Amino acid sequence: MSLGHHHAWLPPGHLRPPDDPHDSRSINGYSKSFSGPRTPQMRASVDADGSHAGNLISEADLTAEEDPRIAIFRDLYRRSEAKINTLFAGQKNVEDLVGAAVADADEPDIKNECADQPAPPPAPAKKPARKLDDDDYDDYDDEDDGDAASPPKPKPLTPSQEFSTTPLLSRYTSGTTSAGGDAPKETKKESLEDIRKKLEEDKKATEEAAKRSFHTIFYTLENDRDAMLDQQRLEESERQVEAEMSSQANAGNNATSTSNGYGSLSNANLGASSLTLKNLIARIDMKRTMVQASDAELRSLMSEVRKNRSKWASEDKIGQEELYEAAEKVLSELKAMTEHSTAFLTRVNKRDAPDYYTIIKHPMDLGTMTKKLKALQFKSKQEFVDDLNLIWSNCLKYNTNPDHFLRKHALYMKKETEKLVPLIPEIVIRDRAEVEAEERRLQLADLDGAEESDDEPIMSSRGRKAPGKSSKKGAAPARNTPSGSEPPAGSSSQPAAPARADSDVPTDGIPNGFATPPPGTQTPSDPAGAAAGVSGIHGDSMDIDGLTPSINALSALSAAGVEAEDPEYKVWKQVTKKDRALIAAERHRLFKGDKLNSDEPALLRTKAGMRRWVRNQRQINAEGDKSNEPSTQAMEPGPAGETLAEGIEVDEDKVIPDYYDVMSGVPDLPGQLLWREDSDGNIVDASEEFLRILSKGSFTQPDSKLSQKMDANMRQMQETRKICSKIGIVKQMQLQSQMYQNQFQKYQPEPFLEQDVPPHVMNDEGPVVSPWACKAALQRSVAKIFYHTGFEEYQPSALDAVTDIASDFFQKIGETFKSYIEAPKVPTADSTELASSNSQWKKAYTEPEIVLHTLNSVGIGVEDIESYIKDDVERLGTKLATVHDRLRSLLSELLRPALADGGEDGSNAFADGSEQFVGGDFAEDIDEDFFGFKELGLDKEFGLATLSVPLHLLQNRMYNAAQAQNTSAIQTVTLFPPPPSYPRLTSETLPSQIGLVRGFFGAKLQASNNEGLVEDLELPPKQRPMAAKPRLPASGKIPPPSAPAGPTASPQKRPLPPTAPGQQPNAIKLGAAEPSKKKVKKNSGVAMEVPVSIADGDEATATLDGTKTSDDPALTNLNSKDGSEVLGAPITEPSHVKNGLDSSAISDVAAAGDGDSNADLNKSNDNTAPLTNGTAGDAS
Amino acid sequence: MSTDRTPKYRQEIQQMMFVSGETAEPSVDTTTLIEEIVRQQVVEILARSTALATRRGVRSISTDDLIFLIRHDKAKVSRLKTFLSWKDVRKNVKDSDDKGGADAADFAAADDPLAGGVVAGPQDVASKPKNKRARVGLVWDVNSFYSVQVPEREDEEDEEEEEQNYATLQRLAAADERTKNMTKEEYVFWSECRQASFTYRKSKRFREWAGFGIVTESKPNDDIVDILGFLTFEIVQTLTEEALKVKEREDREKNRRGGSENGSGENTKKRKRETGLFDPPEEGRTPVEPRHIREAYRKLQATPNKNIAMLLHNGRVPARMPLRLI
Repeated sequence: MSLGHHHAWLPPGHLRPPDDPHDSRSINGYSKSFSGPRTPQMRASVDADGSHAGNLISEADLTAEEDPRIAIFRDLYRRSEAKINTLFAGQKNVEDLVGAAVADADEPDIKNECADQPAPPPAPAKKPARKLDDDDYDDYDDEDDGDAASPPKPKPLTPSQEFSTTPLLSRYTSGTTSAGGDAPKETKKESLEDIRKKLEEDKKATEEAAKRSFHTIFYTLENDRDAMLDQQRLEESERQVEAEMSSQANAGNNATSTSNGYGSLSNANLGASSLTLKNLIARIDMKRTMVQASDAELRSLMSEVRKNRSKWASEDKIGQEELYEAAEKVLSELKAMTEHSTAFLTRVNKRDAPDYYTIIKHPMDLGTMTKKLKALQFKSKQEFVDDLNLIWSNCLKYNTNPDHFLRKHALYMKKETEKLVPLIPEIVIRDRAEVEAEERRLQLADLDGAEESDDEPIMSSRGRKAPGKSSKKGAAPARNTPSGSEPPAGSSSQPAAPARADSDVPTDGIPNGFATPPPGTQTPSDPAGAAAGVSGIHGDSMDIDGLTPSINALSALSAAGVEAEDPEYKVWKQVTKKDRALIAAERHRLFKGDKLNSDEPALLRTKAGMRRWVRNQRQINAEGDKSNEPSTQAMEPGPAGETLAEGIEVDEDKVIPDYYDVMSGVPDLPGQLLWREDSDGNIVDASEEFLRILSKGSFTQPDSKLSQKMDANMRQMQETRKICSKIGIVKQMQLQSQMYQNQFQKYQPEPFLEQDVPPHVMNDEGPVVSPWACKAALQRSVAKIFYHTGFEEYQPSALDAVTDIASDFFQKIGETFKSYIEAPKVPTADSTELASSNSQWKKAYTEPEIVLHTLNSVGIGVEDIESYIKDDVERLGTKLATVHDRLRSLLSELLRPALADGGEDGSNAFADGSEQFVGGDFAEDIDEDFFGFKELGLDKEFGLATLSVPLHLLQNRMYNAAQAQNTSAIQTVTLFPPPPSYPRLTSETLPSQIGLVRGFFGAKLQASNNEGLVEDLELPPKQRPMAAKPRLPASGKIPPPSAPAGPTASPQKRPLPPTAPGQQPNAIKLGAAEPSKKKVKKNSGVAMEVPVSIADGDEATATLDGTKTSDDPALTNLNSKDGSEVLGAPITEPSHVKNGLDSSAISDVAAAGDGDSNADLNKSNDNTAPLTNGTAGDAS
Repeated sequence: MSTDRTPKYRQEIQQMMFVSGETAEPSVDTTTLIEEIVRQQVVEILARSTALATRRGVRSISTDDLIFLIRHDKAKVSRLKTFLSWKDVRKNVKDSDDKGGADAADFAAADDPLAGGVVAGPQDVASKPKNKRARVGLVWDVNSFYSVQVPEREDEEDEEEEEQNYATLQRLAAADERTKNMTKEEYVFWSECRQASFTYRKSKRFREWAGFGIVTESKPNDDIVDILGFLTFEIVQTLTEEALKVKEREDREKNRRGGSENGSGENTKKRKRETGLFDPPEEGRTPVEPRHIREAYRKLQATPNKNIAMLLHNGRVPARMPLRLI
């Protein structure tokens, strides 16, 4: 306690152990796994690798100290065993080698020990500084003893302190013992320790054997369920006890804390079990504002408390902690033997055995014992052991039948009990007050003693006490030695400190007690330093390894005695039971009934588990290749353990093969992910080497004949659709009077182009596993097929559905392929005679066979595919082509019905009803040529079968639409700059007009208040004073008989001003550039304009302009000749000549502006009509 | 369902069977069985096409619905198309000529395009400008891909038509084979038999028989009835042909077994008939029996692998497969 008191003054840094908690070995061979939970689990303590090593060294040293000769024998045995082991290539090969290598180094140590023994070394000098400190503290403690006793220990001990003190103590002990030279005591202690050691060894050996067998035998999971159920039962009973105890415990703890009378937080924490901690936390939470500590501080306080104080620790009861720790451990150990202990876990139920309580007067079971333990009802070891034995004897008593299975269990348990009981220290719990009183009395008596003499008893008492308490068996002799009375004189000053040091012993399984008493243990390792320590450890563990087989056999044999089972398997079952149960329970938790329970939290892998796995893996690897240097191998586990040690997670060790704990498995890292460093410590980035760019075309259709055909078909469809849209527009125009600018969307489908994925970099082989991209690609293919089948557009849902079906189908194909490919190989038929010598194997199916089989099983044949390609692709192509042709001809028919009627070359125009052509008098008959086509030779030029206005000329709207849509066409038209617009007609500009119209315009101006006249063309189109537009029936022909002769022949409703027919094309042609002043002259333009619009517009316009502006007849003549030449470009020579002859007449007409000459012209042209027609036909 | 009904089409079925190659007189049981099968098929056809029409949002069945049902049987579709086009021609002729006297001949021509097409070819050509054969377009043809109706062109006889003709010719060749050795009287009888129909001039009876009012709306138009008439004939024919094959195999099996086991008189007689150089084929020939029909029906109902491959879910075939149309 005084120790603890002292350490309370240490800087906070001391609260943490100075060494890396995860370093598996420390110099002295102490395991640093002390940071582990204090829950008394023997297993955890025993098989941790580090502690294992620690144990081994201590034990080895112990034995060595016991008898040097035995050590020598053992050494010899170990060597031979090592040789055998290397022969058999067992797991421990490497360590064997190491052990062999170190064996020599070991021996001197032993000798050294022997040498040391008579003359104990000057201990303080050999100690590290840290220990010197402790030394000082101890001295301080000793001085302080008197008054330090009264204040309670406010601080828990940190492990490092404990450990540093214990060796010290033991050193003193050894010093004193050697000085005292009381050999019998030593031997007695040895014998006690022997028992314990043997037990421990036994246990370790079995576990070791089991571990060994992990690699040689594959254990199945079939027993896991039983193990789990057993474990559950155990836990259940514990819970029951817990529940029953909780209320009492609550009260009790509260009582103790209050009885302690310490109001401060830290005091309340003392001796708190986890349960009371909970209460404490609740309390703190409740009065958080009153607590003057930060959260972190509080938390660290709590953790300190929890870590270092056993729940059994009590201020008032001396020895309680040690006794109960041990007892609890034994109890839990017994309970954990679920193979046999299940029946004893709970009270015997009266229903199960009605007469039980008549026969058994004092029933007892493990559960009750736990309860008693928790209620602190045991006062001594004897009581505890009696209760235990009572259970077994009860069972044997009740079940008298020697064959009864429970007897077997009871006997087994009894045996186990006998094995375990020596682990409990012989302690009788005493009240502190009593002890203290005694101490004081003794101290008073000693007060007048000399300094040295004062020191000595303390030392010796400590020495006596330390082994006594640190080793459970040693306790009794230690206690007994100083004086027959229980309280040793010196120990009174520090009753708690060793107790606490002891409390670590059972929990962490670090047998300080074993290691410490002999002085030799420190001496060899201390000067040798770390390296020697490590090698020493190996050597020692080797030693034990060499021993294990026999022990293993022993324990196995003993187990086999109970049940006729494979001993190894039996051992396995026993050793791994708990861990298996845990794992199985974890797995089991995920299930609800037979189904997976989705609400259950997932199993998480732990760092500790993975660390263990990696370590084991490394170990195996190291064992695997023996060519490696022993030293490197020996060193390797160290860093390996550290790689994952970053987490502060507890390194709970499990005795279970790796494959059992699937969760902890760490997959092999691919080469490119390994962390590699070059000689300078720079990281070698190997990733570049593994990157590759996804080759193009992974997500596009491969170019094949079929795909080409399909693409061609689809293109064809698009083209045809384009024609369809044109036809639709034409038909619509024929029906609709008014057009709007954007009424018809231009249908200009783009050819389909498959987009590939953008460049993609991958870092491993194999296909891209990207479901969405793959699905999109498949969707596109499906859409393509849809389009190919004739659908122009489709709903996404439909596409999705078909895509899913397709993927399902392809998955089936893939699966079938796989099963055929993976069919077992068959021996080749021709090599039957060779089969014995070298069996030739070939695949069960050739590749074509695989394909055919697969196709058949998914319901497709080669014929089906072929017929699909033939019918649905190739023939579809031809059909599409036919349809395309037809539609194109339909369109051209619609656009130029006249042309169509006349046939390709116009020859059909004579086929029927051509008498008029022959007679040449049809013009008079029907008066059809009111546009003067014939007159201008247009009929010849275009091969017009009838003189109706061609649709494509009349349907100016269509032309407009085309113009609007086709801006490039407009650009070609405006090759020449349009003439400047005429000035607006106002009262100012009126005088510039010719006199004839001056009056007219004047009146107009008057009417509009001299505002200036608005040109028609400046008006918006709908307001223009235009005549109703000529309507043509859908046929495109002007019905001749119904219409009266003359200019009104067009089917318009009201009389048309004579300029009307011409104006329309004119307006379109010249657009805004043409001022309305020219209206007057348009009569002459009528004849010209129409063809102009057909032929090159600009030139014609120029001609027109020339015609009207020039006064020179010659020039006019020339111009008009030019015009006619332009017009008549395709016309044959004779007609051209004729036109030239007539040109003067035309120019006359133009100059006069007289419409009457039309008739003359007509007439003059009429004569040539049949001829020109004929020639035109011939020419074209 | 078959027990409470009196067979209504015994004679027609007999005739059809005769046309299809069954020379002996089938028993009443046989014809009744066939009639029931046909009726089941007709009902199924009607039900399915009604469903199709409903899906299109139309209440009455159109020809397209019917053809859609048999679309996979290309030969049958093309035969049906031929039938329909000729029917169209006949109707036009009837409309323009207004003479009902040539009905029977016309029908024969329509039903038998070889006779019609080849024999009546010249006279058809003469009347072609007016009654040219309308091509029966199907909704899922290429023409329907586009918004504009594709104009017909007479000059091109596309592949499909050729195929159509080929299918028809195949059938006619078979008929020709059958009639090759017939005497004139026999041929007259045969050609009379060819006119047998479930529907022709028995429209009312057919409607009642097929349960028009129940299965579908009560007034399918004439085209539908005609197509059904055509299809029923096809059904009977297919069934009969299949049954004949079954019977033939059975006989052969019997012969083989009988020959090996006991060479009894009956057996020798059969063998003689098989070698039958001098035996008239009909003599001693036993008619098709119901069991043959049943076996044929079973065979025709067997689902080809292809149709179920996609339906295989976890290797299980769906419990019930829909009735297959023959």
